[in-house]
Amino acid sequence: MTKKRLMRDPLNLIITGVGGQGNVMISLIIGNTFVRDGYFVTIGETYGASQRGGPVMSHVRISKKTQYSPFIPDGCADIILGMEPVETLRMLGRYGNPNVITIINPRPIYSIDVTGGNAEYPDLDKLLETVKELSSQTWVINATEEAQKMGSPMFANAILIGALVGSGVLPLDKKSVGPVLRETFPKEIEANLVAFNKGIKLVRS
Amino acid sequence: MTSIDIDAPGTSQLLVGNEAIARGALEAGVGFAAAYPGTPSSEILGSLAQVAKNAGIYAEWSINEMVAMEAAAGASFAGIRALAAMKQNGINVVSDFLANLVMSGIGKGGLVLVSCDDPSAISSSNEQDTRPIAQWLDIPLVEPGDFQEAKDMTKWLFDLAEELGTLCMLRSVTRIAHARGNVKLGKLPKKQHKAHFDQVHDLKNVMPTTLMPVPSSLRHYFLHVKIDKAREKFESSSFNRYVGPDKADLMVITSGNCWLYSQDAVKALGLENRVGILKLGTLWPMPEKFIRKHLGNSQKILFVEEIDPFLERSVMEIVANLPSSSPRPTFYGKRSGHINAYGELNPNMVIKAISNILLLTYQPRDVEYSKKAEASAKSNVPERSMTFCAGCPHRATFWTIKNAIKLDGRGGIVTGDIGCYSMGLGPAGFFQVRTMHCMGAGAGVANGLGKLGQFGFDQPVLAVVGDSTFYHATIPALINGIYNQSKFILVILDNSATAMTGFQPHPGTGITAMGEPTQAISMEALCRSLGARVEICDPFDLKSTTATLLEMMSEGGGAKVAIMRRQCELLRAKKEKPPYRVYVDTEKCIGEACGCDRLCTRVFLCPGLTWDKKVGKSKIDEVICNGCGVCVDICPQGAIVREAA
Amino acid sequence: MSRNAKGCKELFEEVIDVGLCTLCGACAGGCPYLVYYKGRIALLDNCARMDDAQCYEYCPRTYLDMNEISQKIFGMPYDDGEIGTTQEVLMARSTDSVIRGKAQYGGVVTTLLSLALTEGFIGGAILTKTSDDKTPSPFLAQTVDEMLQCSGSSYMACPVLERYNQIPKDTGGKLGLVAMPCQVLAVAKMKAHPPQNRVSINNVRLVIGLFCTWALSPDKFYQFLEEHLDLSKVKKFDIPPPPANRFDVFTTSDRTSFPLEQVGKFTMPTCAYCLDMTSEFADISVGAAEGIEGWNTVIVRTDTGAKLMKMARQKGKLQVDTLPPASLAHLKEASLLKKKRALKEIVKKSGDMNNLLYVGLSPRFTEKLLA
Repeated sequence: MTKKRLMRDPLNLIITGVGGQGNVMISLIIGNTFVRDGYFVTIGETYGASQRGGPVMSHVRISKKTQYSPFIPDGCADIILGMEPVETLRMLGRYGNPNVITIINPRPIYSIDVTGGNAEYPDLDKLLETVKELSSQTWVINATEEAQKMGSPMFANAILIGALVGSGVLPLDKKSVGPVLRETFPKEIEANLVAFNKGIKLVRS
Repeated sequence: MTSIDIDAPGTSQLLVGNEAIARGALEAGVGFAAAYPGTPSSEILGSLAQVAKNAGIYAEWSINEMVAMEAAAGASFAGIRALAAMKQNGINVVSDFLANLVMSGIGKGGLVLVSCDDPSAISSSNEQDTRPIAQWLDIPLVEPGDFQEAKDMTKWLFDLAEELGTLCMLRSVTRIAHARGNVKLGKLPKKQHKAHFDQVHDLKNVMPTTLMPVPSSLRHYFLHVKIDKAREKFESSSFNRYVGPDKADLMVITSGNCWLYSQDAVKALGLENRVGILKLGTLWPMPEKFIRKHLGNSQKILFVEEIDPFLERSVMEIVANLPSSSPRPTFYGKRSGHINAYGELNPNMVIKAISNILLLTYQPRDVEYSKKAEASAKSNVPERSMTFCAGCPHRATFWTIKNAIKLDGRGGIVTGDIGCYSMGLGPAGFFQVRTMHCMGAGAGVANGLGKLGQFGFDQPVLAVVGDSTFYHATIPALINGIYNQSKFILVILDNSATAMTGFQPHPGTGITAMGEPTQAISMEALCRSLGARVEICDPFDLKSTTATLLEMMSEGGGAKVAIMRRQCELLRAKKEKPPYRVYVDTEKCIGEACGCDRLCTRVFLCPGLTWDKKVGKSKIDEVICNGCGVCVDICPQGAIVREAA
Repeated sequence: MSRNAKGCKELFEEVIDVGLCTLCGACAGGCPYLVYYKGRIALLDNCARMDDAQCYEYCPRTYLDMNEISQKIFGMPYDDGEIGTTQEVLMARSTDSVIRGKAQYGGVVTTLLSLALTEGFIGGAILTKTSDDKTPSPFLAQTVDEMLQCSGSSYMACPVLERYNQIPKDTGGKLGLVAMPCQVLAVAKMKAHPPQNRVSINNVRLVIGLFCTWALSPDKFYQFLEEHLDLSKVKKFDIPPPPANRFDVFTTSDRTSFPLEQVGKFTMPTCAYCLDMTSEFADISVGAAEGIEGWNTVIVRTDTGAKLMKMARQKGKLQVDTLPPASLAHLKEASLLKKKRALKEIVKKSGDMNNLLYVGLSPRFTEKLLA
C-alpha cells in the first residue's frame, strides 16, 4: 500500500494514441495497480472499429471515494499521456486546462488523410511548443526511438508506463506496478522490465 | 491477467463490463452460453469460453444470433441455466424466435438474454435502442448502472427467470460493456445440474411444461400474469434507488451508464443539495408505485438515457394515469431537446442540460486557455480516418476489384456487408462499396440487381462478404442466386477470421470457441456443391486476381463465387515475422517527376506508405509496415523493393 | 500556342466521352491510370495533375496547330494541298517474294523496316501483331522475323503508342514506328513538345505512316467476327479495290466475304472527323496503289524518308516506278474528299463554322474545303 495520495480526487488520466499502439494495455496496467491498492478505477475506452488506424483514447478515473463514469468531462484532464503528437494536441484541445501535466512521445503516425494529400501534418517542433504552452508541465519522452533501439517499437508501452510512474504524478512506484507488469507481459517480461526502467530514467533525466 | 473464474470472493477486481456480466453468469451457475461476435458484446462469450473447460460449462460461437438464442433456449428447456449475448442487430435477428419464446415460456433452467447497444454506432452500421423490444414482446428488462450491477444483475436474472418462467433481458451499452470498473466478486458454485427434458404435461402451472406457443391467446394471458409478478418484484428491487434531497430543484430520472454521467454532472456543478437522481435498474415492467412515490420530489424532471426516450415514454404513461389532482412536473429530455435524441451521451451533455434548466453557467476551465486550446487543436490536428491495417488483404482485394470494374467499363457495382471490409465504402477501399446494411444484406441486394437485365441493366454486380459473414447469413442468398439465376459474383473475403470483432473462430476455421479442433466447413466445397462456379484467388497476386474477376464479370449465367483467400494480417503477425523487408529505393523513386501523382500514398493509401516531404519521395514507415510487399507491384517506377526477411 | 491547364478529366470530356477517341494509345501507358482495354481507354484512378498533363497534350484530337507541327517536322508551314508536304510520290514493291506473299500489297513497309533494322538505322520497331483472338495488339519487333510476323492489315484500331509510352524512361536506342495518321499526328505533337519523364522522343528515328480512310472498332468488330466465324482458322483480312465492295476474310481453307456496308457499321465514329488520309507527318507514307495489284503507293516526305528509300533502291530491296498520273490524281481526289467530309462533320458537331473542335487550320484552307 503506497503512502502517497492522489493529487486530486477523482484523478483524471487520459492515454491517447493510434489504434494498434497498445494504448489499452497501459490503461489496464495502471488501472489494475490502483484497484489492488484499494482505489475505485473506471476506464473508458474507444476501440473496436477504431482499432483500424483511427485515434484511440482511454479515460482513466481514479478515486478513493466512489466509481466515476468512464468519460472525463471536457476540460477536466489532470494528466495526458500522449503516444502520438497530434493525438496529444487533440486531447489538450478538448480536455486540457492550465494545470494539466503532459507526457508525450514525439513520434508521428501519419493518417491516410495526411499521406493521401488531403491534410497537412503540422510541424513537429511547433506542435511540441504548443503542447508545452498548453500544459503546466511537459515531459517529451522518445519512447518509440528508444524502443526501436531495443529491437521493437512495441517496447514503447513499457517505456511510457515507466515514464508515468517515474514522473511521480501518480501515487505509484516500482513496487506496486512491478507485479502487475509481470502478469500483463507474460512474453518478453524481462525486456519489458528493462524498458520500464528506461522510462523511469528518461523522465527523471 | 484477471480471469473471470478467479476464486476470490469478496475481493475487488478491475473488470470490463462484459467480463462482469460473464462473471455474474458464472456465479449464477450458468451451464450453457452461446453468441455470435458483435461489438460491443463479444467479450461476454469470449471470456466464458476461455474458462469454460475449467468451469465445466459449455460456451459456443454459434453461426448467428438466431441459432445462439435457440440453442440457449434448448439448454433452458432441459433444465440448464443458459445465456445468449448479442449486439443490437442480433436482437433484430432473434426477434421472431423471441416472439414465440415469450409465449411458450422457458424450461427449468433460467434463460438470460444480454443485449449490448452501440450508441453512436461506433462499431456498427446503425444506431438502435433495443429496450423497446422488452415492451413490444413483454420481456422483463434490467439495465446495469455500473460494473458491479452488471455482475449482480446478471446473477439475479437467472433466479428471476426461473421464478417467472420466462426469459429475462439485460441491456448494456458500449460505455459499460467496454469500460472497466471495480467489481466485488461473489462465490462460484460447485456443481452443475443434470440436463433432462421433462416430458410431464401440467396445465395448471403458470409455467407450462409443454413448450409450444399455441394456443397463443391463452399463452399470452399467462405471459401477462408473469409480467405482473415481475412488476411486484421490481417495486422492491435495490437496483432502483433515489439519491438526493427530499425536495429537489430538479430530479434526474436515469438508467444504465447515464447514472454515472448524471452523478458526474451533479458533482461537477456542485449541486448535490439541489438535484436528485432517481436511478432505475429494472426498466420493464416499470415499478410504477416506486416511480409514483418519487414523482413529487421535484417540479422539474430531466430524463437522461442512451438513444431512445424509453424511460421518458414509460414514465409519461404513468403520469398520464395519475389522478387529475396530482401535480404535473415539467419534463425535460429528448422530446424537449435538452438531451440528444441521437448519438451517444457523455457527462458534458448532462452538465449542459442541467445548467440550462437551472439557468446556471458552468466553466470547467479558464476561458482564455479554452480559446487557445481549441484553436490550436482545430488548426493543427488533421483528421485520422479509419483504414485497413498495413498488410491487410482487403486493400489488395478492393484494388483488384476497382481495376477490374474500371477496365470492364460498364459501371460495375459492389454491394457491401458487415466486417472490416465495410470500410470499402470509403477511401480505404477506394470507394468501391455502394450499399451496406446488415449481415447478409450484400448478397441479398445483389440478388435483386442481378435480375434486372430485362430492364436494360448491364452493370456487373459484385457482392463482397467476409468469411464469417458468409457462414452467418449469406448461404441462403447464394442459393437464391443460383436457383433464380441472378447474375452476380459473390466475392468472399476469406481471411480466416471474424476479424473486426476480435478474431473469433467460425465454422471455416476448424476451431471452436473453447479452443477445440473440429470439422472445418470448406466454403468452396459448399459453394461447388450448390452448383456455382467457384474460383479461389490470392488477392496479393494483383494481376491474376484482376484477370479472374474480369473474366467472371464478362460471363453470363447465375450467381458465381470468387474466394479471395489470404489470412488477416493481424492474425498472421501473431504467429510469424513479416515475410519481407520493404523499402523505397530513393534513386528509382523520382517523386513528383514520376507523373503518377503519388499513386502510392495518394491512391493506394496503405498507412505504411508515407511521403517524405523533405526529399519529395515516398518512404516506408517501418513502425507501421507489416512487410506484405504488395505495394511493390503498384509503383510504376519499380522503386519499392522487397527483400525476403 | 495555348497550353491550358487541362488534364485527364478534360481528355474524357472533350475527346473520349464524345466519340472522338481514335484509340491511338498516345494517352495510355505513360502513367498507371490510363490503360487500353478491349476497345476503349479505361481510367483506373483520378490523377490531379493539371499542368504537364501529357495525356491531354499529345492526344491527336486535342488542339492541333498544323503550322507549328509542320514547322517542326518539315521546317515549313502546313501545306494545304491534298496530300500534305511531299518530296516524292512513287509506287514500289518488295523484291522479296516471301515478304510479298505475307504482306498486304507490295510489302513495302516490311521491306523498309527490315532494311532499317539490318542497316542499324533502327534497333527495333513498334508494330501491330495479330493476337490469338485476331484482334491487333502492339508489338515491339526486334528481329526481321518478328517484323515479318507483323505483316498484314487487320483494319482495326490498335493502340501502338501505348506500347511506346511503356518503354522505361532512360532506355536508349533507335526506334521505328508504323502508325496510322492519328498516331503519326500524336508523335508529331511529341516531337514539337517533347514529353517529360518518359522515354525520349528522340529515340523515334523512323515513322512510317499508313493510308487510312477509316478503322474498325476492335471490340465490336471482334464480336461480329466471333459470331460468324471460327476465329482460330482466320489467316488474313483484305478489302479488294472497287468495285468489289466487299470485306474478305481468308481462313486456312477458304475465303468468306461480307458486304463492305455490313462491316462499315463497325467503323469508329471518330473517323468521320479525321482530315488525314495519307499520314501527312510521317517520314514515309505507304498505302495501296489503287487499281495496281501487288504495288504500294509511296509518299516520301522527309530527308530521313528519302535516305531510306534511296538505300532500299540501291540495295535492290525495292522495285520502284513512277505512279501513273491517273493514280496520283485519284489519290489526291480521295484525300481531298476525306478532308471536305471531315470538316463538314466537324462543323456539324460543333454547330459553329468558326469552331473546328480540335483542328487549327488557316481560314483560307477552311473556306476552300467547306466551299
